[in-house]
This record gives sequence, structure tokens and C-alpha cells, in this order.
Amino acid sequence: MNITETTQDNVSRVELEGRFDANTCGTVEQFIREKIKEGMLQFVLNMEKVPFIASAGLRVVLVFARELQMNKGNLCLANLQPNVLRVFEISGLKNAMRIFDDMESAARSFND
Amino acid sequence: MYIRFWGVRGSIATPLTNAALTAKIQKAVQLGLKAGLADESQIPEFVRNLPWHIRQTAGGDTACVEIQAGSNLLILDAGTGIRRLGLHLLRKYRGNPVDAHILLTHTHWDHINGIPFFVPGFNPNNKLILYGPSPGLESRIKGQQAPEYFPVPLTPAFRFVQLNEGAHFRIGNVKVETMRLNHPGGSHAYRITHDNKALVYATDSEYTDLSANALRPFTNFFHDADLLIYDAQFMPLENFEKENWGHSNAFTGIDMAIEAGVKKLVFTHHDPAYDDRKLCDILQKANEYLDIYEPDTELRLYLASEGLSMTI
Repeated sequence: MNITETTQDNVSRVELEGRFDANTCGTVEQFIREKIKEGMLQFVLNMEKVPFIASAGLRVVLVFARELQMNKGNLCLANLQPNVLRVFEISGLKNAMRIFDDMESAARSFND
Repeated sequence: MYIRFWGVRGSIATPLTNAALTAKIQKAVQLGLKAGLADESQIPEFVRNLPWHIRQTAGGDTACVEIQAGSNLLILDAGTGIRRLGLHLLRKYRGNPVDAHILLTHTHWDHINGIPFFVPGFNPNNKLILYGPSPGLESRIKGQQAPEYFPVPLTPAFRFVQLNEGAHFRIGNVKVETMRLNHPGGSHAYRITHDNKALVYATDSEYTDLSANALRPFTNFFHDADLLIYDAQFMPLENFEKENWGHSNAFTGIDMAIEAGVKKLVFTHHDPAYDDRKLCDILQKANEYLDIYEPDTELRLYLASEGLSMTI
């Protein structure tokens, strides 16, 4: 899993590349955890280059979304590939997460 | 190895309600009208083609699985499902002694409260051995039939083998291995190997760290199993929200089964709140998830239901 990140308007825009599964969820979790320690509370994960998400990935995003919400932050997802969106739907997590078609909509949502 | 499911519910027995039965009948009749049924002779095939959740039920008894491995009878857990298994054994053995090895994953009610109703226990000629790694196994099982809880004490037909953590032993030519799982109060998986076929029974376990490293001890235990019977009590969202409840979900089961090279995966320990329609839906979604995850997989998914039988 490759991770690149930029910060803009106090939102961490995180681009993930690769399968988001048991082998890579630890890398994503560690990255987000480090950013939270630095004080970042608003994240948008760009999932354009994530071809698949397993239950391990689902759990990471849900746990962080809930944790950040409790601290007045949030974690949004953007640019989900059809298969990835479908996994969120059939797992029941789609309505529990903030999912957007593109990064800009996701980033703007923090101002709402 | 022959496997038959006698109890597939978790937490508490969940009989089919009259309302649910009526709803199934109404739906079947509706479908019959649409299909234009005109003659009784058409009924058997029509019923066979009804959706599973209308034609059948997963059942309401709690955990119990029968295994015949050669001449060895093993029983996994003794929830309420063991009552009907006992009646079946009486018919099958026709007065001949019953020699059964009952492997308990843990002593929560839904895994032991069928023991007082296991009729072979009332025949002192039967040899019934209860195994389990839960500390103080004998006092726990006898305790559930203390006079303040039950009018009849545990019968002498039952004997106990207290297992240590991680125990492995033989029952005849069957190899039995155990592994501790993550469940409040403790639970244990069993790996049963006979004639180069392996079955793993891993119910009542939660996996909160789903990274490959954290799951490796479990996927190693499950490795190349011909059949994995897995606790999929909740859907993924409910599972993640009910942290520390001690259960898992079908999607995590699939992930682990693929990693471990499992051939058949059976989801069991169904939540009492899930009706047959919901269980059917879970299997459908699990199959869709599997198709997305590994389109070329040979892994096959099943929903445990009372009466489901398999041979590996």
C-alpha cells in the first residue's frame, strides 16, 4: 500500500494505492494514527487507486471515523471504485460512513 | 467424516414464531397462485423450488454439531440441539451402548444447556465423555444442574476430561487439537483430523485486530481445513459496533478462510434477532463479497441450518 498525503485547509487528503486488506490495513492505521497525534482531525481518503477493500480495511475506516467524530473531526471517503462501493453497501457500512464522488465534495463537507 | 448440524443459533434458543410461520405459508401460497398450481401432484416440485427462507428454517436450537469419524462419534458443543441429537442416537443405536465424545468450546449457556436433556445420559451403560479446556469443567457442568437450577443432577453416565490450554490428543484414530479464541470468559476452537481430512470448529470468537499478523495464529490453526465452521453471528457493521461481545462476521470469516486455504466455510451461531430471510440475505451478500474478493476461488460458503449434513 502506497500512501501520499497533502494537507489543505486543515484537511488531510490521503491518497491510498493498493488493496486495502489484512496485509495493508496496519500501514494505513499507523499513518492515520501518526497524523492524529500531530493534531489532524479531518481526513479524506482518496480511494481511486484502491481496487478492493476487505473486512480489515472496513474496520479501520469505521473505527477511525467514529473516533474522530467523538473528537469533533471526521473521516470521509472519496472516489470509490464500483467494487469497493459495493463492499461498503453489502457490509452495511455505506450509511455509516461519509462517502463522496470526488475529493472536493468530501473536503467541502467539513465546512458544512 | 460425516457432519450434521443439530443447533446453529447463538446466545439463546430461538424457535420459529407463529407469526413467522404464517408469513412463510402466506408467501408460499402467493407464489403458488402466481405459478398457477392446479394439481396436488405439482406441489412437491413447487415446494422444492421455493426460496430457501420460505421453504425451510435455519432452526432455533443452540450450538451442537455431530461428527462421525470412522467408528468414532464426536459431538461439538451441547446447546439445546443436543436434545434432538440424543433422541436420534437412541433410534440409531437401538438399545446398544452409545459411546460419545462431547467436545465443549466453553461453558456459556448456549453451549451446555442441552446436557440435562441428552437422553443417552440416563443410561448408565452409555459412555459419554465431556471434554473442555474451561477451567473447572466438571464443577461448571455439574453446577448447572444444582438443585436450585434443575430438578435432576448430572447422571453418572457422564465422565470428564479436563483439557489444558492448547491441548492435543487422540480419540481412537481421530486427532483433536485445541486453540484459545477471543471471547469474554474464554472459548476454544477444535481441529479434528481423521483420514487426512480436517474440520475446524471455531465458534464464539471475536477478531478486533484484523491485520494479517494478528490473525496468523488463527489462520495457521485453520490451515487447509476441508471444513471451517465459523461464528458469523453479526453482519460486519453490527460486529464492529458490538466490540467485545465476542463474535465475528461472515466477511472476516471469508478473509480468514481464503488466507488459510479452507475449502468449505459454514457460517453458524446465528443471532437470535436474525430471521431466515435475513440469514439468507447474509449468505447472498457473503457470496457476492467472495466473488469480488477472489473471483476464481474454490472456497464454498454455506449457512448452517438444523439438519444440514456434509461429508468431507
